[in-house]
Amino acid sequence: MSNNNKKWFSLNLGRKEKESSGACGCGKTSGGCGAASQSDQMTDAAFAEAAIHASIGEEKNKDGFEQVFDVKMDRRTAFKKLTASLLIGAGAVSTSCSVIGGDESKEKAQIDWEEQFKGNYKLMTDEEKNGTVDRLVRSYQLRTGKTISMSSKNAEEDVLFGYAFNISKCQGYMDCVNACVEENNQDRNSEMQYIRIHEMKDGKGFNFNEADDNYYHEVPAEGHFYMGTQCFHCDNPPCVEVCPVQATWREDDGLVVVDYDWCVGCRYCMAACPYDGRRFNWSKPEVPEAEINKNQHYLGNRMRKKGVMEKCTFCVQRSRAGKNPACVEACPTGARIFGNLLDPDSTIRWVLENKKVFRLKEDLGTEPKFWYFMD
Amino acid sequence: MMNRYNLKYIVSAFIMVLGLASCKHHEDEYHSITDKIEAEGKNYQGTSISSEAYIGDIKTIEITEGAHTFLIPERKSQIKSYACTECHIKPLAKMQNKDFKKAHWDIKIEHANENTMNCITCHNGSNMDELTSLTGKSIDFNKSYNLCNQCHTKQFQDWKGGAHGKRIGGWAPPRASMTCVNCHNPHDPHFESRWPARFNTQKVKERE
Repeated sequence: MSNNNKKWFSLNLGRKEKESSGACGCGKTSGGCGAASQSDQMTDAAFAEAAIHASIGEEKNKDGFEQVFDVKMDRRTAFKKLTASLLIGAGAVSTSCSVIGGDESKEKAQIDWEEQFKGNYKLMTDEEKNGTVDRLVRSYQLRTGKTISMSSKNAEEDVLFGYAFNISKCQGYMDCVNACVEENNQDRNSEMQYIRIHEMKDGKGFNFNEADDNYYHEVPAEGHFYMGTQCFHCDNPPCVEVCPVQATWREDDGLVVVDYDWCVGCRYCMAACPYDGRRFNWSKPEVPEAEINKNQHYLGNRMRKKGVMEKCTFCVQRSRAGKNPACVEACPTGARIFGNLLDPDSTIRWVLENKKVFRLKEDLGTEPKFWYFMD
Repeated sequence: MMNRYNLKYIVSAFIMVLGLASCKHHEDEYHSITDKIEAEGKNYQGTSISSEAYIGDIKTIEITEGAHTFLIPERKSQIKSYACTECHIKPLAKMQNKDFKKAHWDIKIEHANENTMNCITCHNGSNMDELTSLTGKSIDFNKSYNLCNQCHTKQFQDWKGGAHGKRIGGWAPPRASMTCVNCHNPHDPHFESRWPARFNTQKVKERE
């Protein structure tokens, strides 16, 4: 990516492929490295223009750099932030100026620095999105020696994703749950799962108080029916409303997504969701290296960290490429139907127009794009 | 007098404009998701996304049933002992003696009851390479759904539309769907009960 319209201050660690500012050769031991390049970038007129261009509201028209630094805050938080940033900065500087530090560790430090200040994904230009994806792929390569592919594919025009679930077909096999966990690199230690299959008694309706979502006996059990819940990708999502840092939002194709690098882990969204669609990483998510799904998307199944929210994304890495989500593909009964709501010839539209469909807690006005129906 | 008349007009025009404008919220342009689907889907021109690549090596044929045209997997090449006439050199009635090797001992029919169905309800005893309808018309093995839909009319309607059965590949066009026999064994069509694929031990601990 080009350097001239980057919206945050860049460290130049004197790595060979980048043009050296000479800061590391100056022999300074404090954070003066790359100071020359800073003034160039900050006074650029295009910088302000790009910032306004990227804005989506009065309070949102700050770019990545300003979102970090140009915030009214009390002294305590200011010191906290400053210390955190200084630690990274100091780390970067010491690596860059160290004689024994290799080119690789310098690159690692530079990537860490850039990632720290990259800003909110929602506000990024396509170029910046590619930039951060490239950095994350490179960082993973430096750390593990393995190569992943990560996409930053945007929402397609004329696509609005929707989902239908046939409650008379589901037999409670839970193949969908397994496929989801494997596809989306969910934490194996805490056995996180986005999908829950509820076993409900016939004749009691949707009674979640008496339903069991963790049964283990031969299914389908006599006198029971099964229904699945996951993130419903509401068109009026309450989780997005409550996010204090706008780390979660609805994309144009209807997917409600999370920027794991912008999330502060306050869990407001978890409380706001009326469907228990969101999950929190209480510990560092761990997946055995051999089981990691390397086909990733920035907003989807890339590796998360401790203390951030995650949830079903309708497998954004698959759905935006034209595939069905993993749960749809895994279901042996055909209870799960996925498609484009705007396409009048799509199967999902046929279901909505010809079957008796309903949604969970419709009266809340959340407008979930997940319908239930029966044969 | 004239002035008051004008004022009336202006006020009523203002109220009308206000009424029109108040329907639109600042961000959500639609009252409901169905309104949104209708409005935004009106000028649907198709997308650049295609699921064709995900159909993979599966050989398909295109079928048109009513208003629906889509792909289903080709069947004949998938039946191990097709063509049936390789063994069934004579009509079935003439092969029922001791000179011939016994075959199909592994097939047990669990489909309706004996009053309703037996082998020749679907198979044509005098031409084993084809299936036969209830009225004796021949049905191609590749289009065996025409056999099923004689009784299972509701399922057939749902299957055509896409509410019954499963897509192959992805959600985007071209649509390829499994046909009846890809999921249901025609001799034993019901789904077996089994244990769930997963049990969450962590959830048990958390709920103690």
